Amino acid sequence: MDLFLQRCFDGLFNGAIYASLALALVMLFRATGLLNFALGEIGMVGGYTSLVMLTPAAAAAGGGGFVFPVAGTSLVSWLPGHPYPVVVAIGFGVIASALLGVLLQRLVLYRLRNRSDFVKVNATIALLLALAGLVTEVWGGLSHRYPSVFPDDPGDYIDVFGGRLRYTTLGAWAVQLALLLLLGALINRTKTGLAFRAITSNAEAASLMGIPVQRTLAIGWAVSCGIGALAVSIVAASTILRPGMMVTVLILAFAAATIGGLDSPKGAVMGGVIVGLTQSLVPGYTPFPSELAVVPPFLAMTILLMFRPTGLFGTARVVRV
Amino acid sequence: MNRYTGAAALTAAVVLPMIVDRGLLEDFSRVFVLILAVLGVHLLTGTTGLISLGHGIFVGIGAFSMANLLDQNLPVVVALVIATAMAGMAGVIVALPSLRVRGPYLALITLGLAVMFPPIGRRLGRFTGSALGRTVDVGGFDPPDFLRLDDHPHIWNYVVCLIVVAGWFLLTRNLLNSRIGRAIRATKDHEHAAAAFGINVALAKTGTFAISAAMAGTAGALQAIIDPYLNTNDYDWTFSLKLYTSAVIGGLGSLLGAVVGAVIYVGLPWLNEFLGLLDSPSLAFGLGLLIVIMVAPNGVVGLLPRFSKKPNSETS
Repeated sequence: MDLFLQRCFDGLFNGAIYASLALALVMLFRATGLLNFALGEIGMVGGYTSLVMLTPAAAAAGGGGFVFPVAGTSLVSWLPGHPYPVVVAIGFGVIASALLGVLLQRLVLYRLRNRSDFVKVNATIALLLALAGLVTEVWGGLSHRYPSVFPDDPGDYIDVFGGRLRYTTLGAWAVQLALLLLLGALINRTKTGLAFRAITSNAEAASLMGIPVQRTLAIGWAVSCGIGALAVSIVAASTILRPGMMVTVLILAFAAATIGGLDSPKGAVMGGVIVGLTQSLVPGYTPFPSELAVVPPFLAMTILLMFRPTGLFGTARVVRV
Repeated sequence: MNRYTGAAALTAAVVLPMIVDRGLLEDFSRVFVLILAVLGVHLLTGTTGLISLGHGIFVGIGAFSMANLLDQNLPVVVALVIATAMAGMAGVIVALPSLRVRGPYLALITLGLAVMFPPIGRRLGRFTGSALGRTVDVGGFDPPDFLRLDDHPHIWNYVVCLIVVAGWFLLTRNLLNSRIGRAIRATKDHEHAAAAFGINVALAKTGTFAISAAMAGTAGALQAIIDPYLNTNDYDWTFSLKLYTSAVIGGLGSLLGAVVGAVIYVGLPWLNEFLGLLDSPSLAFGLGLLIVIMVAPNGVVGLLPRFSKKPNSETS
């Protein structure tokens, strides 16, 4: 029983990460109808920015024990208060990713607005490769330790019937629920949210009605990419920060979003939980090797797509012929 | 490619082994194999508009199938055919669930498979040689006596690659100009209208996917002959993404685009290293694709004067 609970808690921790990224994907999908393959790498840029912000410049000179030098720390060491505490550094990372998202929307996707979906998806694939290369180019291929916001010592857990519910899991879910509330408020209570829905239903009519389409889309990109940076910081704190780590995570977040139906925030969170739990329970109770924990959620998604192409909470798309 | 450029290319390919040294000729064989892999992606995306970010896994399946079939002492030609068929069948298995739904799900599922391929391959023990990789036993693949190439196995390899790749090229060209090819293109232009005309859309898409996967499989099998050392790590997601990127950069409107794409696949990292610009070729590929999307919607081939007047081959 306690082992079962333990596996559930582990799954829920990963589930929170997938849920938040899935939420970011769904958010952008609703605003632009686009699957952003570059989301993970845009988040990585933010993740490394926060690493730069929290690493003392002394470590860059090689004085910090086992800390690998981080490129760029000496560039920002003149800032008052640098190195910053983790929370502030993550804030910088989120801002960096959000700005990058807006920049890419302006420079790339805005110019492609009249082109087909095929071209837009190609553009995000190009950005995925380019940004993955850029991160390796700037920060190298080394792994970096990344501090956790929440208490992360071996003793930091609540005992629930013998299962260890770690503070990091609780923290990740607190962040997740806060995101869900904030996004829900943004979409349902603000003028921007109204503009989102207007643009999704008919961009041309929305712009004729005086809705600032570009500004609204920029907000959508900023929020989505900012969430990406947040997810990177949670993943990095639970393992390490290394280039290329987000591809697997993003794939599973896609699976979560797809299971949830791609256009439903509630579905994204449910999908995240399902993916997280499948990933930890299937290798736990079947002879499935745990290095291949990526496979069961993916299979689950594929099988679901075969029988229910719109996912659990998605709305069926009607195509006019 | 018209008759004259085709003839010129063939002549150049035949003259080549007489004038270049062994190392360069092996490089040319590798480029031919890559042309085939890129052609696979090209056929799929160019004719159906589907995006596969995982064609590298079919190259991998072809290569490892080849290695294991050769272990069974099968003749090379038979092994080549079976390896191709196995990659094609893997293509059908991948295509079936993802083609039932519209949208970019195929890109998603294939990218996922590309990410999972190396870790799964590492678990397969003797079949893939686990994490260390394995060698391919191509001992029995000697040139026939009448060619008198016994001392020049690299020329024999080159000839085999050339013939196989040229064969696939002819097959693709004829397929595209046949009734089946027209049906496939009709589904790309307007799926529902094509269905209304009695075209089985799912079959057309799955079939194209299977053929393109088989092509990638042949490329892998040939790779196993040229470079008889295989490691699953070489077939990771960046390999698949680079194949896809090369195909799109080369241009999807004409078969020549696949050739250009393969040249880009080999040439871009080489140029990058030669100029000492970037540490990671991924950045070069990503930027290259971005520039092509922005500036040349029909790829590099579309910039050539002969092809520039063609209607935009963009997929909707």
